Amino acid sequence: MPEIQHYVLFPNHDNAMRLHRELKKIGVRATIAPTPRAASTCCGVSLLIQEEDVGKVETCVKEQRIDILKIAEIEKDVNPRRDRYC
Amino acid sequence: MEDGSKIYFDNGSTSWPKAPNVAEAMAGLLANGAFNINRGNYEGAYEVEGLVLDTRDQLAKLFHAEDSRSVIFTPGITYSLNYFIKGFLQSGDHVLISGMEHNGVMRPLKQMEAYGVTYDIVKTEEDGSLKPEFVEKGIRSNTRAVVMLHASNVCGTVIPIREIGEICKRRRLFFAVDTAQSAGTIPVDMKEYGIDFLAFTGHKGLLGPQGIGGFLISKELDECMKPFIAGGTGSQSDSYDMPETLPDKYESGTLNLPGIIGLHAALVYMEETGLETIHRKKMELTRYFLEQVSDFPNIRIVGKKGLEDRVAVVSLDFLKMDNAMAAFELERQYGVMTRVGLHCAPLAHQTLRTWPRGTVRFAFGAKNTKEEIDRCVEGIRSVLSV
Repeated sequence: MPEIQHYVLFPNHDNAMRLHRELKKIGVRATIAPTPRAASTCCGVSLLIQEEDVGKVETCVKEQRIDILKIAEIEKDVNPRRDRYC
Repeated sequence: MEDGSKIYFDNGSTSWPKAPNVAEAMAGLLANGAFNINRGNYEGAYEVEGLVLDTRDQLAKLFHAEDSRSVIFTPGITYSLNYFIKGFLQSGDHVLISGMEHNGVMRPLKQMEAYGVTYDIVKTEEDGSLKPEFVEKGIRSNTRAVVMLHASNVCGTVIPIREIGEICKRRRLFFAVDTAQSAGTIPVDMKEYGIDFLAFTGHKGLLGPQGIGGFLISKELDECMKPFIAGGTGSQSDSYDMPETLPDKYESGTLNLPGIIGLHAALVYMEETGLETIHRKKMELTRYFLEQVSDFPNIRIVGKKGLEDRVAVVSLDFLKMDNAMAAFELERQYGVMTRVGLHCAPLAHQTLRTWPRGTVRFAFGAKNTKEEIDRCVEGIRSVLSV
């Protein structure tokens, strides 16, 4: 089974940094990461969060009035043998 | 001075000394990782981004903005004013300004005349003060905004922005305020004063470095204003259109990160010291200076004669000599650094009746001393031969 990861996507860096800071305050772990190309072509950053924290993140987004695009579920795609056939 | 020491009374141009730790913070960034925010996808860049966010929060708190996303960084207040004048005003629009405006407002407004924007100068008194009722009287059917400085860079007179803000709110006009000489000196409350566009500079009263300034914008104005500068923001890079999201909408190109980090350090100092403490010290020096020069013959204190409705900027007109020569002698013989001339504000000098000869401006900082004022007064006495 491919691993599914949860990314919070943003319209800009500023909102990502704000949410990261707020999540840190309430003890929710989030990692700032480049937005996977499969999720968006916007070139921004996103927050990689744990599946069990999705609810807490959604609440924090609402309470702190952070602008997000969505929370995307992305298949982990780090395969050193991708596009290699021999 | 014979001992070669200097007295810095040109804080109206830029403050000096800067707040403690400003230089160290900037050097630290440049030495240890001046990574680019909104671009770099790695830990070091995120750390810088965190400091930029903190600086937005500091400024939002200082100016009482609802949301620190409305804090926009620019290279300085002149850029900020251009953003408003060229990004908001359109052909057929009319604006009101005071008779004390700096060329930071006058020149972009004059440029916009070619595109059909008109303006009127609200009646302003000879001491630089302005009665709010004249703002109301100047409003036309096509008036869209009032653009005014908070405190004069020539003589320090403060404009009653609270009352003008009330008029703007009632008459549904946008209110843009130039806080070049008031930010970091006297309170500026965006919410309470009904300010839609607050332009600030980091290197004067806020005690930060040159090359960093910005503006704060209300939600209502943001909805009507176009980004005057367009380009890469590090966000929504798949589009040729500018993002609508703040602060990106108005922040194309790489920001002056050393400047922002320096400003952050300055704002930490201001928070620790307190605006009121800094202001009180400056006004004590202003009082001391005014008391001593007020009886001198052949000299005119331009603007307010006392401490009411003013900041720590004093202009003197040497009536029997060329003001530039007076300033030159003060600097050469007594080491007093001032600014002489029209201070980029010919309109203000016309209002103050000091056009075209200008004035010698003394702008005090909280680190100046009464001893320095004593030496300066001695110099003025010598220049006047009294």
